[in-house]
Amino acid sequence: MTKKMVTIGVLALQGAFIEHINHLQKAAKSAKSGSLVAGVQIKAVQVRTVEQLKSVDALILPGGESTSISLIAERTGLLVPLQEFVRIKRKPVWGTCAGLILLSDQASKATKGGQKLVGGLHVRCQRNHFGRQTESFSCDLALPFIDPNDPDDRFSAMFIRAPIIDRLLDSDTTDNFEALSLSDENVVYAPKLEADSDDRTLVEVICRLPKTLGSEADDIVAVRQGQIFGTSFHPELTSDVRLHLWWMEECVLPYLE
Amino acid sequence: MSFEKSSTPRPPVDASVVAANTSFTLKAGLAQMLKGGVIMDVVNAEQAVIAERAGACAVMALERVPADIRAEGGVARMSDPKMIKEIIDAVSIPVMAKCRIGHFVEAQILEVLGVDYIDESEVLTPADQVHHIVKHSYKVPFVCGARNLGEALRRISEGAAMMRTKGEAGTGDVTEAVKHIRQINHEIRQAAGMSDEELYVYAKDLGVSYHLLKDTARKGHLSVVNFAAGGIATPADAAMCMQLGCDGVFVGSGIFLGHNPEKRARAIVQAVTHYNDAKVLAEVSTDLGPAMVGRTVESLKETEKLARRGW
Repeated sequence: MTKKMVTIGVLALQGAFIEHINHLQKAAKSAKSGSLVAGVQIKAVQVRTVEQLKSVDALILPGGESTSISLIAERTGLLVPLQEFVRIKRKPVWGTCAGLILLSDQASKATKGGQKLVGGLHVRCQRNHFGRQTESFSCDLALPFIDPNDPDDRFSAMFIRAPIIDRLLDSDTTDNFEALSLSDENVVYAPKLEADSDDRTLVEVICRLPKTLGSEADDIVAVRQGQIFGTSFHPELTSDVRLHLWWMEECVLPYLE
Repeated sequence: MSFEKSSTPRPPVDASVVAANTSFTLKAGLAQMLKGGVIMDVVNAEQAVIAERAGACAVMALERVPADIRAEGGVARMSDPKMIKEIIDAVSIPVMAKCRIGHFVEAQILEVLGVDYIDESEVLTPADQVHHIVKHSYKVPFVCGARNLGEALRRISEGAAMMRTKGEAGTGDVTEAVKHIRQINHEIRQAAGMSDEELYVYAKDLGVSYHLLKDTARKGHLSVVNFAAGGIATPADAAMCMQLGCDGVFVGSGIFLGHNPEKRARAIVQAVTHYNDAKVLAEVSTDLGPAMVGRTVESLKETEKLARRGW
């Protein structure tokens, strides 16, 4: 029997998209028999055009420069189709680093003069939260598939000029777009869509920075809101493919027909 | 609270949980995030904002673009920290800056200024005729130029986390960049077909470590991101470098010395994303006005060639 094909796209406008394609392929191969992922055939493709976006079942928005990705998306005519993909069609999506910024309903410390967001994830994230490149770091995270009782079970995450999730917003987004002060922190907002009003899915915190990180302890670095997943770190830069496998298993396949 | 970048850095404190900040993965990782993008030379905050608005994934802060360095002559050095700080404050994208080859103190200064990448660059006048900077000990990552595989692997051994072709900066003539991309590709393909015995000899000939050469041959590409640089002036130049296998492009004098810089900058950004789509390339190449006049590489005297600098 031929397996059902599931096509996962990676937005390939700018940034580290090849790394995600490689990780998806490796993760699919590593799936244990009997799991959801092992039951389908995963195809990973680059997405640069509206036609390519139409052909995929789920999408990763990779790390890169969020300003560049959003400007190129706009000029390629992809910004509105992306908003439809995420917020109207509600297909599974995952944003890493710059991708998380694009999926957020609000972003602070944005480019002066504004940058456009795809939106859909009811959070405010703060760009370049830790500072400049010399403040980039890596640390182990207690992700859902990690066994807390096994000290050797570790997932090392790379934070590169990374954003964090600053606050969770009410799922009723009516207040989110106007009421908050927008003057000094260069906050930008995703545009409102009609379809937003019936989206009541709550944002769930998946992971925070460990307590040992001093003033950064407990900062939120991974969230999930139904079929939308966001991480502020880069799981595609290490050889560990478990988060990609977890995402397909938990956040993609259960949402497909 | 004002929009003040310098007030936020709060690095992680517990070294036992946090891997070393100097970890090479983090340095090379930032270069991976720049892939598929355009890094633009800018000489002031105003140009930096234009570059960011055009979609640049980073800017290179320097006092004079290479074409002006050529025209004016004299010793070219690291830029004034005041100008670098102004550029850092003006944009949210990564900021790179150049230091002279071998000038490890200029590099120390750039690191404390908070630049995100240092370019140890042959465009500036070399400070050391023998040694390059040992780049491992810095927290900030380095990008270096190379004309061939030997140079590239020597720079990577010294700690460079990103490479670029040298090209011939400030000419608007892409021929040297093309030569360097093809040379590196050719040498990697040659190495990939070699036995271990042959690789030991080839490593000796190139003046590089056997292990690094073998690793590169096995991968079929450099172990770090490789951008095209030097002489890129049009969207077609940029797309050509991408089709030849580069991960992204640097554009120096080509933008702000051309006609209508913002439009040209936007066009080159679109060309790098859609480098395989001739229809898009035709569209973005349309009506850009004259490109920089430039100078052909053939017309340069040997002593005028910047790519000869570095060893």
